Amino acid sequence: MENPTIFYYALLWIIGWGAVGGIVSPRIYARKDLDVSQAGLVGTAVGAAGGPISLLPFWYFTPTLNWRWIVVPSVIVLGVFIAAFAKADPTNFCVARSDYLTTQVANGLVMGSIYGLMALGLTLIFSILGVVSFAHGEFYMIGGMAVYYIGTVWFPGLNPLFSIIGAAIITFLIGLIFEVVFLRAMNTGQVERPGEYAILVTFGLAFFLQYLVLALVGANPKKVPRFVQYPDITFPSGAEAPLLTMNVRTFSFFNSITISSTRITAALVSLILLGILMWFLYKTWTGKALRAVSQDRQAAAVTGINPNRMNTLAFALGGALAGVSGASLVQVFSWVPWVGVLASARSFVIIVLGGMGSLPGAFIGGLIVGLVETIGAGCIPDPQRATAYIPAYGMVILVIVLLLKPTGLFGREL
Amino acid sequence: MSKRNWLVWGFTLSGIVLLVGFPFLTPNNYIMHVSIIAFFFAILASSWSLLAGYAGQFSFGHMAFMAIGAYSTGLYSKFIRLGTAPTGICTPEIKIGDHWLFFINAYGDNCLDIAKKTMPVGTLIYRLPPWHGIILAAIMGGVFGVLVGGLVLRLRRTYLALFTIGFSEIVRVAINAEIAITDGPNGLQLQPLFPNGMFGFSAVDKIPPYYAMMLLFVVSMLFMYWLTNSRFGLFIRSIREDEEAAAALGVHIVRYKVLVFTITSIIAAVAGAVYAHYVQVITPNILLIAQMSLVIAMAVIGGLESLLAAAIGAIAIEFMLELLRELHIGPLVVDMTTWRLVFFGLLLMLTLRFWNNGLLYPIIQRLTRRGVAEETVAKRLAGQEGDV
Repeated sequence: MENPTIFYYALLWIIGWGAVGGIVSPRIYARKDLDVSQAGLVGTAVGAAGGPISLLPFWYFTPTLNWRWIVVPSVIVLGVFIAAFAKADPTNFCVARSDYLTTQVANGLVMGSIYGLMALGLTLIFSILGVVSFAHGEFYMIGGMAVYYIGTVWFPGLNPLFSIIGAAIITFLIGLIFEVVFLRAMNTGQVERPGEYAILVTFGLAFFLQYLVLALVGANPKKVPRFVQYPDITFPSGAEAPLLTMNVRTFSFFNSITISSTRITAALVSLILLGILMWFLYKTWTGKALRAVSQDRQAAAVTGINPNRMNTLAFALGGALAGVSGASLVQVFSWVPWVGVLASARSFVIIVLGGMGSLPGAFIGGLIVGLVETIGAGCIPDPQRATAYIPAYGMVILVIVLLLKPTGLFGREL
Repeated sequence: MSKRNWLVWGFTLSGIVLLVGFPFLTPNNYIMHVSIIAFFFAILASSWSLLAGYAGQFSFGHMAFMAIGAYSTGLYSKFIRLGTAPTGICTPEIKIGDHWLFFINAYGDNCLDIAKKTMPVGTLIYRLPPWHGIILAAIMGGVFGVLVGGLVLRLRRTYLALFTIGFSEIVRVAINAEIAITDGPNGLQLQPLFPNGMFGFSAVDKIPPYYAMMLLFVVSMLFMYWLTNSRFGLFIRSIREDEEAAAALGVHIVRYKVLVFTITSIIAAVAGAVYAHYVQVITPNILLIAQMSLVIAMAVIGGLESLLAAAIGAIAIEFMLELLRELHIGPLVVDMTTWRLVFFGLLLMLTLRFWNNGLLYPIIQRLTRRGVAEETVAKRLAGQEGDV
């Protein structure tokens, strides 16, 4: 950075006034006998956006709060943050080169859609069983390993579509068996304190699966060849600045945005699956039954839905979603038995950000986390450290969400 | 004194005698080493069972606090020196009596190495004793415990579990990335627990660290027993059973949750610091989630809701892990390094599902309660129901 002090002062200003707004505003709203439920959050946003200039009128008029009072100041805060960064580091690629920034954003959205798919599985499980599966990352890892073994070791040259389906089936079955043997006992009163039991037993499953896979396949990183060999295409052909240039390695849109082809494949797989999942949840009887159970267990049972079977289905389906996102990402990264740890930590961030149990929240949360990770890794000046700290960006989001709005973007009230 | 009390005291006393006398029975370095590691895990498992089993707060970041303790003392002994003359270039440099305290810089050339060339002949430079670092570790464990606990313990239980996994990963990533400070994956070197030896033993002997770790184990067990048998223990158990009911009866639930979280974090940090000085090199791998899983498996298989059961579970499992390293079936030697952990993972799940109280707790309960039934019957027969 050329003059980092500007950036640090701006950051200090935002955080300081945000804290003042967050602490003082609820008290003022309480003194005036108004609704305080949103006051802390809006106070923080208003304080961070304008400091005392906006806080004093806000405290004086104490307006009725709605979602605009959250969105508008948040956008201003983001603008101030970006402006301060641009001022502090004008030679940074993210500031000086727009094509670099758009490439980062596009990559973030592509990765985010895959993260979103994985988090969707987790949030599906939570919305129906009321359980956060701490073994979710292990399903992701097993999905990738299954693709490697089916497509590369056992049947070399098999169409990758079949290996992805195979991975989905394997993870589905693991989820099914685990739910029937271990989690069903929660609803039949066979275990004391089911909430604590669920946390521990899924954590135990993660431990077991991780070491089982390590013992079976060893610690050497596995690499899977790319699923789809895209042909060399330039569209429109012969143009100086083509809209799309495609080859085996990369896609280039508008001659400026570059995304590697494996990521495009992975994102396509995840979007197709998202479509299938949405069709399943909203158009089929079983999908509607699943959503009914997530809304009201007893009422669903009265209408003839067996909640226990829905539990099993939801857990297996959630596991399979993680498995498929692992299966589609195995061609992007090299695969070791502990890739699941970071993936599950990221999924936790996403579902807390999106709101526990909210399906759209999980997908949008996935996009946000994907964006933050790629932009953080691409824009922070010290590249080596920026990559090393990728898992930390999600945690920053998590801390902010826990402090300001623990229910997340679309969460039900706790 | 009743028959039952005699039994309890008998067991406790013979346990302590066994722990103290153990080095004399087997003066084998390998067994000493395994015992020290077993005590280390016993401290972690029992403090985790205080947090999870008694207070019902499931933190997966216990190893992170252990690592914070270990790295606190490690960085303290790496960066801080005491000398008899000022260097002039190390900043900050603090004068204490007729000595100077130097802070060595992490980036660039080591200021002390440069200064040594110009310092007067006969200048002595000391490392500070390890127990300073251990105290620092306790403070750092407490500070981080208050911060993390204060952030997430206001919320539902699951959030703590979610957050602490992430926290633990962040600590690991940070230690891995900041190579100039922590030496990253190569590991940070520390001085031995007793740099000048102790009671005629040299610095590399296993006997003094054995007694140090054992003392820490016994002291932390006694402290936690005292806590759980006080009002504090009653409060945290009431929080575990029903937060709303506890709050309605006047228990300040957030305060007690943060307090128990901080106390267990401090215990983990101190254990980590002592462990770090014993093994003398620490790497970020000590806080892999797999290590945390092992501590959880120890506590659960022993018995989550009893400190003693968790500790004995940890000691038993640590010895079993060492025994199962290689399996000899006739002439065949099977490498079990990974499979033993698969086995314990499965055992962890099955214990949770089918034996809620763990595998060891029922045995301990049976031993310590032996005679209770006879006593009760005898009293009943004597017509003293009122006293029972």
